[in-house]
Amino acid sequence: MRSPQSPAQAIAWEFRRRHLRVLIALAGYLLVLAAIKLLMRGLGQPITLEPPDGRVGVALGPLSVTFFYFLAVFSFGLAGDLAARQSIYPARMFTLPVTTRALAGWPMLYGSAVMASLWLGMALLARWWDLALPVIWPALLAAVFLAWTQALTWMPYGWRGVRVVVTVLWLAALDVIVLLAIHFKVSEPLMIGFLAPQLPLAYLTARFAVARARRGDIPDWRGMRARPAAIAQVSQPGHFPSPARAQLWFEWRRHGRTLPALVALLLPFELAFLFLVRHDPPVLIFETLLVVLLTPPFMATFAATMVSRANPHARDSYGVTPFDATRPMTSAGLIGAKLGMAIWSTLGAWLLVLVAIPLGLKLSGTWPTVIGWVDWLARVFGTPRAIVILLLVFSSLIVSTWKQLVHSMYIGLTGRVWVIRTSWLFALAFIIMIGPVAQWIIDDRAVAAGVWTALPWILAALVGVKMIAAAWVAQRLYSSRLLSDRMLVTGAAGWMVAVLLLYGLLAWAFFAPLIPRYLLGLVAILAMPLARLSAAPLALAWNRHR
Amino acid sequence: MGHQPAAIVTDSTAPTASVVITVSDLTRRFGATTALASVSLSLPRGAVYGLVGANGAGKTTLIKHILGLLRAESGSVRVFGLDPVADPVGVLSRIGYLSEENDLPGWMRVDELIRYSRAFYPAWDDGYAEELRQRFALDSTARIKNLSKGQKARAGLLIALAYRPELLVLDEPSSGLDPIVRRDILGAVLRTIADEGRTVLFSSHLLDEVERVADHVTMISQGRVVLSAPLDAIRESHRVGERTPSLEEIFVAHVGMPATPPDP
Repeated sequence: MRSPQSPAQAIAWEFRRRHLRVLIALAGYLLVLAAIKLLMRGLGQPITLEPPDGRVGVALGPLSVTFFYFLAVFSFGLAGDLAARQSIYPARMFTLPVTTRALAGWPMLYGSAVMASLWLGMALLARWWDLALPVIWPALLAAVFLAWTQALTWMPYGWRGVRVVVTVLWLAALDVIVLLAIHFKVSEPLMIGFLAPQLPLAYLTARFAVARARRGDIPDWRGMRARPAAIAQVSQPGHFPSPARAQLWFEWRRHGRTLPALVALLLPFELAFLFLVRHDPPVLIFETLLVVLLTPPFMATFAATMVSRANPHARDSYGVTPFDATRPMTSAGLIGAKLGMAIWSTLGAWLLVLVAIPLGLKLSGTWPTVIGWVDWLARVFGTPRAIVILLLVFSSLIVSTWKQLVHSMYIGLTGRVWVIRTSWLFALAFIIMIGPVAQWIIDDRAVAAGVWTALPWILAALVGVKMIAAAWVAQRLYSSRLLSDRMLVTGAAGWMVAVLLLYGLLAWAFFAPLIPRYLLGLVAILAMPLARLSAAPLALAWNRHR
Repeated sequence: MGHQPAAIVTDSTAPTASVVITVSDLTRRFGATTALASVSLSLPRGAVYGLVGANGAGKTTLIKHILGLLRAESGSVRVFGLDPVADPVGVLSRIGYLSEENDLPGWMRVDELIRYSRAFYPAWDDGYAEELRQRFALDSTARIKNLSKGQKARAGLLIALAYRPELLVLDEPSSGLDPIVRRDILGAVLRTIADEGRTVLFSSHLLDEVERVADHVTMISQGRVVLSAPLDAIRESHRVGERTPSLEEIFVAHVGMPATPPDP
């Protein structure tokens, strides 16, 4: 292989070398899309954005993932501590014999080119599908997004966490401006005129940020918080009553605040829509509330990637650090602390949502509309059933948030990169396939009828898989003595009681002769976490005692 | 040195009750590399054991097996007669450990680290912890990540010592400490613990340091124990006329290279 001949080539080589596999995966993904197009529609058959096609949605998930991945790659966010005061630009590069201009400029140039190319590739693919998408301004927007992300994340800040807030707010503001421009059908030249000057502005900011970071000029605003910190010091609580409580505190401080913080960041923007849509049809209010209610479980999937990491800042972030591994606690005890932390984290996030929603409804004047829906529900189902249905919906959302936080924990806790990457691959494959398959089922009435007929069997098969996996996990837990016999029996009994309770509630609340009771039973079994959760102590022990 | 009667540690005939660590025929491979090859050790209670070897010799791998962080592929490891993998609580609650990785949680303050750590050890001595904190000049409100490397090592040492563990395991404890601190703090701590009938196992590639504090030395090279005996016996057996060679010279004689690579 030829060695890089210049700093520019060396920087490019590093990006290419580290992320080649992802680029290949992206190319493979585009090929899969092309294959789907050929297999499902045939050559020359147009695909529309509107139902019943809408297959363009297939592209959105992985495209968004790739977009954010490139944002992280080119801003060096994958390796740095986003919350730190220091710049996340790799310090090792500051000692290279190159100008600050080059350090800031080349990653920005490469990143902007890749982001723009990503959009251009998608737009070309869409044209092949006979979808006319705008080409220039979205490509420019992607480049601008990256450039500002780089500039703002490379900047040193005086407090921890300010970087995240500043970057998110700036990008959100940019997003809002562009959305408004689309809404008001602003012409493409005007859009380009707004976006293009931002690239040099972002570059100048990035250059300033890198120069500052390079000379170690990190502002320190912590003195402003010295007094509150001193007060907190005095009011610090006493000793922990048990190792379990200490570990719960440890997990909370390490991961617990992530989900409430993410939800708190998004809520104001989401609820602001209530003010925009208050005079529009009520369905928009409903959709806004739905988005707000789905925010905690959705954001929990992101927070979960942190929870399963033994130490997000460690060199091998999935491995257990000696400090963690030498806690004199069982692996089950350590998992217990993570689960407890997830409960508090979930409750924290939902407390925010449940306080913010009435506040948003009241201030926006949309409260009567929602009260009207509740009245309608009470009239249709009767007051007790309506209350139970609402409680079921809320509790299932809360439980689902907690589940999102913990149910994939067993994968990350194995500490094996190959396990984690394989699971990502499966998840990506699932995301790619679920859209076309769902669309196929919806489009084809015969297929839809077949799936409906086979639904009990599909659910039964899933229950079978779940129970076999749970039995295997239980057997492993028993033989490895990770859980005592008593805990195993208590856990199994608790799970069965929870399933019966859920089944009873479902059977009572959804009283409909057309829904067979056994179907509700299968749903209750599938809804209650078991195998994956029980596998977490096994995964941690596998990681902890290598 | 005046501690436990010296015995060749590869001889595992010491009475079980007085043995703290027993390693039998332990082999560990990482891919094609053999990190430990049929290592057998038996460490009686109440002495300071120095585990010496060049970088990559297998010292940390052996210590990780003793702590249960690595599972024995073949052979066995017993600490206080217990399997550290099967019974981590029983073993780890009696061990104080200072990692060479300096991996204390950076977000914690020193007082939070003390408060958190004390919950795990019923024998935690608040007075002793405070004494150590003052002796090590650690500001209780300082965040761990803002401490220097030496201060981090001191903080780690504090939480490893404050419950007066039966077995103290120090993996390259000199890392990050300047020579004066090393001599004054480490030496005093190790002697204190050993004098109280507790056991210390520490690994190092700085042989002069080992010579100063260890009663018993185990040399490890390429995963094999090449020499394991009381320090006095090692010196005596390598005496040439009136001259007693240094541990460094003895190490070179056995391993064929110095434990610390020469400066470039």
